[in-house]
Amino acid sequence: MIVNEMEKRLRPPQIKLKPYPPKVVMLASGEKMVVREVKREETGVLLETIYPLIGVPKDFYDIVAARMYAEILGWYRYRVANEFVLVGVIDGVIAGIVNSRLMDEDVGISLHTLAVKRGLRIGAQLFASKMEHHLEILGQKEVLIVAESPIGFRRWMIEYSLENREDKYPKIQHELGGVPTHVLTKSLYDVIRDQKIGGQRPVGLQTLASADVLKAPEEYPQIPGFKRGKQ
Amino acid sequence: MRKVSIVGIGHTIFGNLSDFDLVDVMAFASAEAMDDAGIRKNRKIIDQVIVANMGGGIINHQTGIASSLVSRLDLEPAMAELVENGPASGASAIKIGFACIASGMVDVVMVTGGELMRTVSGWKGTDFVSTLLHPEAEYNYGLTLPAFGGMFTRLYMERYGLTERELAMVAVKNHENAAKNPYAHVTIQCTREAIFDNPDVNTVNPYIAEPLRLYSTCPVSDGAVAVIMCAMNSPKMKYFKKKEPIVISGVGSATDTHCVHQRKDPLRLKAVQLSAERAYKMAGLSPKDISFAELHDAFLVLELAISEEIGFFKSGESKEAVAKGVTRINGSLPINTSGGLKAKGHPVGATGVSQVYELVKQLRGEAEKGRQVKNPKHGLAVNFGGFGNNVVTTICSKE
Amino acid sequence: MIDFNIYKPKKKEVYAYKCPECGILDYPAPIICRKCGARRDPSGVYFSSWEKIPLKGKCKLLTWSRVYALPEGFLEKYLIFGIVEFENGLRASGRLLVDKPQIGMDLVAKVGLVREKVDEDVLGFMFDKED
Repeated sequence: MIVNEMEKRLRPPQIKLKPYPPKVVMLASGEKMVVREVKREETGVLLETIYPLIGVPKDFYDIVAARMYAEILGWYRYRVANEFVLVGVIDGVIAGIVNSRLMDEDVGISLHTLAVKRGLRIGAQLFASKMEHHLEILGQKEVLIVAESPIGFRRWMIEYSLENREDKYPKIQHELGGVPTHVLTKSLYDVIRDQKIGGQRPVGLQTLASADVLKAPEEYPQIPGFKRGKQ
Repeated sequence: MRKVSIVGIGHTIFGNLSDFDLVDVMAFASAEAMDDAGIRKNRKIIDQVIVANMGGGIINHQTGIASSLVSRLDLEPAMAELVENGPASGASAIKIGFACIASGMVDVVMVTGGELMRTVSGWKGTDFVSTLLHPEAEYNYGLTLPAFGGMFTRLYMERYGLTERELAMVAVKNHENAAKNPYAHVTIQCTREAIFDNPDVNTVNPYIAEPLRLYSTCPVSDGAVAVIMCAMNSPKMKYFKKKEPIVISGVGSATDTHCVHQRKDPLRLKAVQLSAERAYKMAGLSPKDISFAELHDAFLVLELAISEEIGFFKSGESKEAVAKGVTRINGSLPINTSGGLKAKGHPVGATGVSQVYELVKQLRGEAEKGRQVKNPKHGLAVNFGGFGNNVVTTICSKE
Repeated sequence: MIDFNIYKPKKKEVYAYKCPECGILDYPAPIICRKCGARRDPSGVYFSSWEKIPLKGKCKLLTWSRVYALPEGFLEKYLIFGIVEFENGLRASGRLLVDKPQIGMDLVAKVGLVREKVDEDVLGFMFDKED
């Protein structure tokens, strides 16, 4: 495709990112979740998955879904610099989505973590995969992280012992609302790595194939009575 | 002592009910029990209401909960009191209700147990449960009930050679049972491969208090359960024709030292053994008469330890029974057919009443398909308070 | 699909609940109707959660007190509380905004901020003289 001059100016420069090598985790229910990077062509099913949660205020789903929807749409429309999106897939159905971006080669900015299927620590697995991508695969030095909900605060700030840079505010701030931030450095990550990073590689061909075509979930535990197609 | 039977039962879903008010949730379960007994229009025949709850004052900022419940249900001028005995509140409330009827003081008692623990953060919830411990010698250190669960599990593993893999089988059984229980909190079935043999076990089933893992401890739940009891020889029994009455044939309770370290052998749960002995004596039964049991598995190892203390198996041998499938639904001695605290959930004040609810449901033959014990005659429940320092055993039998 | 009402300010009302079977009003919300025994389910899943009718309008003062010893969090020197009876027979407790209350006086029910709790503002009755 030829891109016109105006469009070229509206698009930010992009760092070439190494792809995320897919892995598979066996969840407590015995189900296998494939964690892989998404392709641009899959934006439609991602947005379709996120959209219904914009109307759920419980557990801060509304703000996380609204912001993630904007970030993924922005990524698709080439209006966000250096973003990547990982998805957790069980039998072809999206169980959770995480997204993040890079400020530069060394510093990453964690954006959002959205678990659709609940009760199996899927959010925790996907957040850890996000950090694995930043600090191991992409070789970054540190990642800025904020939480929008108390659950996020407990799972990340406390369980990962994140470095607190809130006192450097407003010189150092997180772009999600311009708020004071915490940081996961490579050395903190190395300490916590074995406890938090799960998943086995390489993924068997059949399992990987089952995660090839993404499907949006038919039902949401967060929205009782929701059935896709009946809107 | 008069013969006492349970004539009505009601149960809410266990899980996250924190959008609602504590007493409303308890009232829902109570109204369910009234409908089960067929006395909603004649509800004023209830003489005494006993409520079991542990955290109403600390978490929900409400006191006088029993009186509050009476008004919510238009039951004035029934007598009403609250019983608090930590996680054994439910069975204690039933025991006291039983005593009120057996002594001849009243004819009809409604016991409702409930808890709304998820309104506060997990942090506050853990702290709240830790208030059971000795303030100076245990609580101040940041010790929690799971901490003692972990220490107990380690000692049990060292002494009897129990492995994490064997413990995982108990979790799998309880999850399997809960999957068929419409009131259970956790209906996701877990497989042993996933929670134990898994190369990702450290992230999928992390340690909470080594060697206790996430899938060896019960969840934090909201919920309420109610039972209605009546004296068998009371003229008011004429109101209770709807369901088969199930007799409370034996009740017993006992205490042990408050501090876990003061017990000569920390693995001996003397309060469990004594409370069961007292209940067996009252019922005129022995362990081999019991058809099935609900045992307080807040930490999975307790299901094993309690089953040994009450005489089902010899010390250290319960794990063999689990491996042989003896304690599964279709085994010879099903344990925790409801899913136990592990998978059904553990709203602290409601648990004891929920265990008796399950005993009644099974004895009536009303359990869901795939979850019904064959021809049960006597069922036993052990409700474990604190870390074993106050235990109540209840035995129910077919009439 | 999105209920935008959750983002709008709460209506300044205090509600009585109407039994769907016999129609009588009760305040605060019961779980079993005092007159006919019908059930109320706050979740609305198993039984109706009952229709909410705003309690408002003229009322008569039954008794009152000027209270100096207030609970933690209240910074006023004193607050005046009272119990009133509405024209439909329902009664309620609430704050009185009149300086010199008298038993039997006619008041009107207004709704305002009565308490600040963690993460929520609580609205309640403030009984005042008719303007």
